[in-house]
Amino acid sequence: MNLQSFLLMRHEIMLTLALVILLIAELSTENKKGIINLAILIFLVVTVVGFVPVPEGSLFGDMYRTSPLTVMMKNILNIGVLILFFQSAEWIKQPEYNNKVSEFYLLIISTLIGMSFMISSGHFLMFYIGLELATIPIAALAAYDRLKNISAEAGIKLILSSALSSGILLYGLSMLYGTIGSLYFTDMGEAFMNTPLQVMGFIFFFAGMGFKISLVPFHLWTADVYEGAPINVASYLSVISKGAAVFIFTIILFTVFHSIAPMWKNLLYVIAILTMTVGNLFALRQKNLKRFLAFSSIAQAGFILLGIIDGGELGMASVLYFVLIYIFTNLGAFGVVSAVSVASGKENMDDYNGLYHTNPKLSLLLMLALFSLAGIPPVAGFFGKFFLFTSAAHSGYYWLVFIAVVNATISLYYYLLVIKAMFINKNEEPIAFFKSGLTTRIGLLMCVAGIFIIGLLSPIFEILRSLSIGI
Amino acid sequence: MSIHELMFYLFSGMILLFSVLTVTSRRILRAATYLLFVLISTAGIYFMLNYQFLAAVQLTLYAGGIVVLIIFSILLTSHITHKFEPIGIKKMVFTIVAVAAGAILTITTVLNYGFNTVVASSQNPDMQLIGGSLLGYGRDGYALPFEVISVLLLAAIFGSIVIAKKEKSK
Repeated sequence: MNLQSFLLMRHEIMLTLALVILLIAELSTENKKGIINLAILIFLVVTVVGFVPVPEGSLFGDMYRTSPLTVMMKNILNIGVLILFFQSAEWIKQPEYNNKVSEFYLLIISTLIGMSFMISSGHFLMFYIGLELATIPIAALAAYDRLKNISAEAGIKLILSSALSSGILLYGLSMLYGTIGSLYFTDMGEAFMNTPLQVMGFIFFFAGMGFKISLVPFHLWTADVYEGAPINVASYLSVISKGAAVFIFTIILFTVFHSIAPMWKNLLYVIAILTMTVGNLFALRQKNLKRFLAFSSIAQAGFILLGIIDGGELGMASVLYFVLIYIFTNLGAFGVVSAVSVASGKENMDDYNGLYHTNPKLSLLLMLALFSLAGIPPVAGFFGKFFLFTSAAHSGYYWLVFIAVVNATISLYYYLLVIKAMFINKNEEPIAFFKSGLTTRIGLLMCVAGIFIIGLLSPIFEILRSLSIGI
Repeated sequence: MSIHELMFYLFSGMILLFSVLTVTSRRILRAATYLLFVLISTAGIYFMLNYQFLAAVQLTLYAGGIVVLIIFSILLTSHITHKFEPIGIKKMVFTIVAVAAGAILTITTVLNYGFNTVVASSQNPDMQLIGGSLLGYGRDGYALPFEVISVLLLAAIFGSIVIAKKEKSK
């Protein structure tokens, strides 16, 4: 081990450096606007440096592993956070947050460090520490408006449900450790014997991860937390944090638990149907846009399971591709809701009636994002869903694909409800015209670009597929 | 029954009893005190396994540090005289059924697994070994998790600052 080998950890080291720089900046200046710009600038550098190719390898006796695949995952998450930073600059500038500007960035970056370590882990201890580092600070973020009861409640709900799920997950891991005697992914993959106790340990692990990805029946915290948390935190939870959990979940299923693949495929089959259906049915009746997007993101998690169920490189590539698109799409939707909320303080669907007449550009953008979430052909969301369905069909799960298609149709109905509200419904007092700041516009434009470019640029999927070979 | 077995049953019985009391007590300070007994009994089990180091950590950190922290935060935030509402009978029945079903399933699965009995490893691990592996960066070395936990603690401090910070008067 030499200094050069630390280059393998460049994502984590860059993020930690960013954390330290921001901390020093916070101590040395009172200029909040400067800190916001500095955070965006630093993160831009972090994101760009992440793309510099460095050979793969493992460090700390296989406790930390990188491969081109994990590097790509981290880059995808970094892009998402960069967009989020652009979008949330205007929100955090509001006077009520004046005394906790830099904390927002510090907390987001520390959770991102946790996610990076989690994705790169080769040992369940590292995985667990990464998972906690990615969850605990978010509870503080959810309680950011702590003087509002609903936000404090969101923070408490998040920390309690994540503590419960971590407990279940750890109990499952302790069973696996007791029977195998090692927590290294490679050892466990080899020594997994399929005895009832190990299967039980696996199911506990699965349930714990189900909480983090908010799969049905472990989804009960999601809507309340999203509703109570500030919009930008909710969007971080639904996009980045869920994406990271999906990534590591897929890696662990494919590598550690590959010997019981038939079993977890059956489990995923049932959970996928439940998640898609329940998410969709509850989304139908939501009036608050944050709750609406929460249930829509539960349903989207159900679709992601269609890619995981394939269990091979095609599944891995389609999951990566879908999450990449989902980041741009969902951040676009949340970005518009956030911009509207900052300008007018309104978050209900009825408030959006007639939005097109006053704010045509934002309405078009939200329409584009919702079309992409629903999976309408010209935009990227269609291709994301298409590859997920292909990979499930590739493994012969035709009924599952059929149910997913039915669910995609149901989801179209409620996405169109929002679009109808904006474009057709009449409103005596629509939200007045407003102009968002430069950073918000950059963030939203990045989403639009992503929604179009990723769908139409076919090499992207080929690259992701070539990275997934050998998983 | 040897004295060893007797001690084991004593400690396990204490853990079970006080765990149940911790979650059923309606006064929060009492619950915290019961938790203290659970943690001390766990340390007793570690002593029986000859893991002196782990037992010492359990006593100083958990029983000594964390319980005191919990009691401090209870004294600072809530009214000690406050009594929680009793749980409704319907909720109680459902909880007991669910917990019992889970416990029976888990216990039968664990009992049916043929664990290999290991005799040799019941020696006290060398302190040097523990220190070496905490700072080791090779296989079975825990330097990296050790460092990442420090980032976790830093992030937790940021989080508590956000929650505890006073709003500036306007």
